[in-house]
Amino acid sequence: MRVLDKPLVVSGELAWLGGDRLERRVDTPMRETSTIADGEVTQEREGKKPRSFSLNRAPQLKVLLDSFVALLAGDPSRLGESFEIALGRDADRWQLTLTPRDPRIAKQIASIHVYGSGNVPRCMRMDESDGDTSIDLLGELATAMPAEPTREGLIAQCGGAM
Amino acid sequence: MRGARLGILIAWLAALAALGAVVATQLKVGTDLRSFMPAPTTPDQKLLMDQVGEGPGSRLLLVAIDGGDDVTKATLSRGLAATLRKDPAFTQVVNGDFDLGMLDTRLMPYRFLLSPTLDTQVLDENYLADQLQQRLEDLSSPAATLLKGLLPRDPTLETLKLAERWTPTRSPEVREGVWFSSRDEALLLAQTRGAGFDPGAQDEAIGRLRAAFAALPGSAGSHLTISGPGYFTVVVNAQTRDQADWIGRISTIGFIVLMLAAYRSVSSLLLGALPVATGALAGIAVMTLCFAEVHGITLAFGFTLLGVAQEYPIRLLSHRRAGESAVASVKGLWPLLLTAIASACIAYLAFYASGVGGLKQLAVFTITGLLAAGFTTRYALPYLLPERARDVADTPGLARFRGWLDGLPRPRWLPIPVAAAAVAMLAFAPGPFWQNDLSALTPLPRDLLMTDARLRGELGAPDVRYLLVVQAPTADGVLAASAKLEARLREQVAAKTLDGFELPSIYLPDLATQRARQAKLPDRATLDAALDGALDGMPFRKDLFAPFVDDVQAARSAPLLTPDMFARAPLGQRLAAMLVPRGDHWVGLSALSGVHDAAAIAATVVSAGADARLLDLKDASESLVAEYRTRILHALLAATLLLLVTITLALRSVRRAWHVLAPMTLATFLVLAVERMAGIPISLFHLVALILAAGLGLHYALFFERDTGDPAEQRRTLHATVVCVISALLVFGMLAWSSIPVLRAIGLTVSLGVAFHFCLSILMAPHARQDRLH
Repeated sequence: MRVLDKPLVVSGELAWLGGDRLERRVDTPMRETSTIADGEVTQEREGKKPRSFSLNRAPQLKVLLDSFVALLAGDPSRLGESFEIALGRDADRWQLTLTPRDPRIAKQIASIHVYGSGNVPRCMRMDESDGDTSIDLLGELATAMPAEPTREGLIAQCGGAM
Repeated sequence: MRGARLGILIAWLAALAALGAVVATQLKVGTDLRSFMPAPTTPDQKLLMDQVGEGPGSRLLLVAIDGGDDVTKATLSRGLAATLRKDPAFTQVVNGDFDLGMLDTRLMPYRFLLSPTLDTQVLDENYLADQLQQRLEDLSSPAATLLKGLLPRDPTLETLKLAERWTPTRSPEVREGVWFSSRDEALLLAQTRGAGFDPGAQDEAIGRLRAAFAALPGSAGSHLTISGPGYFTVVVNAQTRDQADWIGRISTIGFIVLMLAAYRSVSSLLLGALPVATGALAGIAVMTLCFAEVHGITLAFGFTLLGVAQEYPIRLLSHRRAGESAVASVKGLWPLLLTAIASACIAYLAFYASGVGGLKQLAVFTITGLLAAGFTTRYALPYLLPERARDVADTPGLARFRGWLDGLPRPRWLPIPVAAAAVAMLAFAPGPFWQNDLSALTPLPRDLLMTDARLRGELGAPDVRYLLVVQAPTADGVLAASAKLEARLREQVAAKTLDGFELPSIYLPDLATQRARQAKLPDRATLDAALDGALDGMPFRKDLFAPFVDDVQAARSAPLLTPDMFARAPLGQRLAAMLVPRGDHWVGLSALSGVHDAAAIAATVVSAGADARLLDLKDASESLVAEYRTRILHALLAATLLLLVTITLALRSVRRAWHVLAPMTLATFLVLAVERMAGIPISLFHLVALILAAGLGLHYALFFERDTGDPAEQRRTLHATVVCVISALLVFGMLAWSSIPVLRAIGLTVSLGVAFHFCLSILMAPHARQDRLH
């Protein structure tokens, strides 16, 4: 991120609770649980009272949620509503490139790349329009997180799954 | 002779044209309904009158966009808001667009003085470290994209706290970035600059709103619903005018047919219209001289009331004998006609004494009109009428009708049972006697009201009934008092007696509060040190927060924010509407939404120790109407006494005066009794209509009472009266069928009145009985 000197690394668990509900639990560096459910985002941190805001306040987040849920549920038509989809294949590995259709979302999120093999997504990279990138190493890749990660290294690692 | 007649006609028409020219160039028609309301006396009533038109609630238009998908509706909502924000006819447009630009960049440093954070915090190392840690967590959270841009300038998220504070407590659901109702309409609130009860200004604003919507690309498939007090004003105005127009057209045709049937002469019809036309033009001309602006309602009511003047030419036309010149006929009629004119003028004088702007205009208009119509009937019309005329006394059937009327029993004791019946009906009538609620006469279709209630509920738009009033000698005093109320009202919201509120201090804290917050801001060295300490071990770029440090320094030395300075900000209009100077002091006006327990809120407000109170606009308006009515009743009482004296002097006999005044008085009370029996509460419009009916009834009684001893002359009197009664029933009977309560009130009252006056004047007239004795 441009506002930071070095990549910000958090690790934890992302769980799809079914329907439009998603739980994101962070274990390190701090404990935080974010739940997206019923149009509300609730953030709970240790020692703080929970904060919540309406999903409608953050339309981009809603799109992200949609893409996550559609991906996890394997619902291509729902994915197609919000994104232009491009699929690349190499043996049993694949790369999915999602470009937001809504110009207002595109102002913030340039594209989302999902890498995987077989039927398991392994890494998700979100390129924001201001040049920031966030990378989710999923499953076994997460254990391969280096101690001092760099932006380039992580991008390679994520795309390297391809 | 023929040439002279033509000369008079041309001179008269030229005079009318000249009057018409004066009227056309000078007449300025106003539409503000408030000039038809009484002059306020108490401070609450004064505030009410201001609020009725100018208050923030009454200038609010509620807009819903329907049709098409969410994206289309949201785009239309944003497009409409963008156009209207540039339009000077609107002071404020909100549609839920989450707008961090609510505080413009010039005022950004003031966020530390506006937000309550510094009341409990200082910008020290601990606080900053905690905040930065939270921001870091935010960056790794789903909210990152939202906050990233704000971070360098506002790491404590003061702007978000302010945006939250300035968002109405109960706001609709936001989808696609704008407000949506539960029925999937995009919602928008637009505040007009023009007063809420000024149909002219509102009509223009609504026209511009519709035009702006129609000009948006893709608006063809969507539908615009508008509601709010201003919209209702326009609807009522248009409906009333529409109905009055078609009723007027039908009655005019009926009137022409009646005149032709009665006098069988086109020239009589045309010439007979001249006095009333003169009266109307003269009335308007004098009004334009006396008043800067003539009210639209004055004109509408005025023409109605001037209908009495049509009697004058009718009397002249009916009372002509075969072989007698019109000039000779009018000379015989004149004393009685003059009494009739004088008494009608006295009755209308009561309007002048009411002290209400609009009614004063009405009095000037009708009295001038009656005098002009009366005197032209006497001094101009007879010279134009043909030398020879058909004697209406020979109209077939008239003699038989007169004979039948003469055959009716006319017991002297008749007034007693009639009076007793009227008193009994008045005493036992159901429902309240007076109609104090002006809105009961507002002819709004039920579905419009339902739509309004629904949109108001969804938007959390302020209740138009209650208003929180804070007073202080200075604007800053009002802000300080308002700050005291804030905590109390929050308790009330928590206790569910209230859904939401707005206070001026939410937007702008008083100077003392700002000064205290300013004093807590650290200087550059202290803040730098604190920030360095807080940043230790954090991954943030070291120079990232320079804009934040600059803002804090700017806020430290900035002059405190006054309402004047704030007024130039995007939210300035909102504050300006809530904080207004009144004479030598300032008043804070706060709208409340969803008032569930007015008594509890009023008690809280009083106990807060500020000069504040909860104003119930409905109570204030009802007390105003009641006072208004008392004044009109007093004026009427005075007019009645004056009338008594005038009639007695004119007839030079108390007995004859009794024969004229008794039927008139009895019939008036009978109308009142019948309407009360039908469950109709009496409003001001009923009173006005009663006076008009009494004026007509007085004419009937005066002419029936006239003892000529000539059967042909009696038939002429009957002919004239029947023509007058039918023409009045035509006009007002039609109005009685109107769906608009105001028109119906007038139509029904006058129709009933004309019928009762006619029957009672005949049954209580003395001479037919004497005829039989002879």
